[in-house]
Amino acid sequence: MKILLAEDDFASRKFMDNYLSRYGECDVTVDGEEAVDAFMMALEDGEPYDLICLDVMMPVLDGYQVLKAIRDIEAQRKISKEQRVKVIMTSALNEERNVKMAFELGCEAYSGKPVDVEKFEMVLKKLGLI
Amino acid sequence: MAEEFNTDGMLDMFLYESSQLLEKLEGILLDKQDAECFDDSDINEIFRVMHTIKGSSGIMMYENITKVAHRLEDVFYYLRESRPDNVPHLELVDKVLAVSDFISGELAKIKDGEKADGNETELLADLDEFLNRLKGEIKDQGIRLPKQQKHEEPSQFYIAPVASEESKFYRVVIHYRNDTQMSNLRAYSATYALKEVAEDLLYTPEDIISNEASADVILAEGFYMLLQTKITADEIRTLIDSSEAETIDIEEINAEQYGKGLVELGHVEAAPIVINLEGEAGAEKQEAPKAAPMPGDYVVKSKETGKGKTLAKNQPKQQSIISVNVEKMDALMDLIGEIVIAEAVVLQNPDLNVPGLELANFQKAAAQLSKITTELQEIIMSLRMMPLTSVFQKMKRIVFDVSKKLGKDIELEVIGENTEVDKNIIEHISDPLMHLVRNSVDHGIEEDVLDRTKLGKPERGKITLEAKNEGGKVYISVRDDGKGLNKEKLYNKALANGLIGDKAITDFTDKEIYRFITLPGFSTKEVVTEYSGRGVGMDVVVKNIQSIGGRLDIDSTEGQGSEMTLVIPLTLAIINGIVVQVGNSSFVMETASVKEFVRVSEDAIVQEPSGEEYIVLRGECYPFIRLKDKYDLEGATSTVSNGIVVVLEYEGSQVCVLIDRLLREQEIVVKPIPPYIKKVRGLSGCTQLGDGSIALILDISGLMENKERSQ
Repeated sequence: MKILLAEDDFASRKFMDNYLSRYGECDVTVDGEEAVDAFMMALEDGEPYDLICLDVMMPVLDGYQVLKAIRDIEAQRKISKEQRVKVIMTSALNEERNVKMAFELGCEAYSGKPVDVEKFEMVLKKLGLI
Repeated sequence: MAEEFNTDGMLDMFLYESSQLLEKLEGILLDKQDAECFDDSDINEIFRVMHTIKGSSGIMMYENITKVAHRLEDVFYYLRESRPDNVPHLELVDKVLAVSDFISGELAKIKDGEKADGNETELLADLDEFLNRLKGEIKDQGIRLPKQQKHEEPSQFYIAPVASEESKFYRVVIHYRNDTQMSNLRAYSATYALKEVAEDLLYTPEDIISNEASADVILAEGFYMLLQTKITADEIRTLIDSSEAETIDIEEINAEQYGKGLVELGHVEAAPIVINLEGEAGAEKQEAPKAAPMPGDYVVKSKETGKGKTLAKNQPKQQSIISVNVEKMDALMDLIGEIVIAEAVVLQNPDLNVPGLELANFQKAAAQLSKITTELQEIIMSLRMMPLTSVFQKMKRIVFDVSKKLGKDIELEVIGENTEVDKNIIEHISDPLMHLVRNSVDHGIEEDVLDRTKLGKPERGKITLEAKNEGGKVYISVRDDGKGLNKEKLYNKALANGLIGDKAITDFTDKEIYRFITLPGFSTKEVVTEYSGRGVGMDVVVKNIQSIGGRLDIDSTEGQGSEMTLVIPLTLAIINGIVVQVGNSSFVMETASVKEFVRVSEDAIVQEPSGEEYIVLRGECYPFIRLKDKYDLEGATSTVSNGIVVVLEYEGSQVCVLIDRLLREQEIVVKPIPPYIKKVRGLSGCTQLGDGSIALILDISGLMENKERSQ
């Protein structure tokens, strides 16, 4: 599985990178813009990501903007709902309205921080990624 | 309260919404338990409730809840689509209640930070069996089964963060030796060492790396950190490099202080709790925060060291309801209490006591100020008011459960469930009220229907739950039309248990006898049932009620029933009081409990051989207490004719207290007596007066108890 991780905080990044690497190859970016670039690049190469983990608070573009951009690009390219990349947001911002907005923007899951690894794995299973 | 502290907004919202829905569900069930069947709107409503719970628990990944809710939703789906006749209604009610109980149980576990690990298989099998029977019934009635309901698996999930409730909060202050070079970098290494274990870390000065001048600040003022972590203070100490540090102070603080600490440290972060206020006023303000978030709001503007994240703010949207953290409300309440005190300090300032001083304008302004503070108080009170509906709802359930278990046929009438009381009070009365209701069902209503019909009462027992609001007090009564209390039995029991010495039954008024049931270790019930009668109970009820300044009135007619009434003040924090002086000390008594002030002469005092004193007023005899002797007050008068006698009333009995002088009546902000002072009987709290001195608040029930004890 191909994974993209966008996370600006070093400690979280290290942790998530470590954790996600057991499921597949994990690319890492440190801000939102880079994440969108990486997503585009993979798409152009015909090797799109299977999973993208997005932090919400990031420099340049925040996680919501990245999510929106990804979904917009996919819509433009007529990628079907089943085919599109699975996105999991990770953030300590877990107010209901934040989560709701992310859902409306089209993420598959929203994980509070610190990440509950057990449940994270459950979600990956439910999403059919592992 | 620490265990209730849950920082996860999403989880909170799920728990809140689900419990609201369940409450609604129970409401429908209890309303319709006696009906033949649910009507269409009920079926739709229950279907909708289960559908919502199924959906949200799916997102939150509580699978057992999802499955159970899903199955019940199915049942109601068939009911809705096929409308079969002859649905076993009571059984259905039972099934729904079982589901509701299961889900509530799981929600409670989640709330306490436990795993929702309830086993749903039995319940599911039960529901399946019921559903199959129902389907069979539908076929037998010649109605076509509707198409299998399409079930959409949730496609979005929320992962709650790992529980952080055991995490502790610390304030860490490091002072470096004056000659320390580059103290800012040392401070940075301290933050770095802590980052690994910190869930949240804030510090000041903020710009320790980019700004070399911060080194001087650190040397002068010390380096402050606020830390949220799971490790202990000692572990923190070992993590921090102490080679150049002069002192490292680590103090554990609570979450609230932690929040305040942010402000003190200048880290005022946006606390995204509240939704917008209505009106255009807010729309003008740039600063008006807390609008619905938009993509782009959370771009980290500048990347500084640590967690100096700046949240961009956004124009507000229109909303007319806000939800506010209770802690903030409590803080506001406290502040308003302080304002009332501050107002008294200004208006009763001793500097104003200059003879012949004309202060017409000042008085006018003072009157205006008083008016506004009073309004302010009323508003905050009303903000904290909540209707009793939810509490009464619980009672309905209890009557239903207990009467079913005991095989009694009981009807519950509810009057005035919209009466509003302070939120604190609701929390305190729920348990006592539950106890009273159980008692009524269990002991009040007769076991044998014949006992009722003999007396010409209807076969069906009746319990009335009534709430009303009168004169600054809330009256909540539980009335049953059952056996009533037997005075003789109560007296004999109290005598046998050695609770009343050897006084004759004629020494007590009816009310006093009824009140025996509130004595610790008293239970007239010979057989202890599952629900009540263990002898713990009524005394606990009374203690709980007294702790919020309320009382319990008991009235009863044998054969006709009894009535228990909780009388509770509308609010706890601010009372109307009369300030009096005894010697050099001031005391406050609640205005409502003062019956009269009298001057009496020496010969009205009767002294018993035991030293007890009584006062004879218009032929009535009242116990008499000299505060001077009771609390060893210096300079107070001991001649009765020089002082004033105050007649105080509590729960129908009176006590007289001798004071020196009446000072004034004013609003009193009740503060608890600080814990470092030993608990003194007869005093319930203290307050600050206008001149800055402290007055003690007399607790009349405590005074009387003391009197009784010494008898």
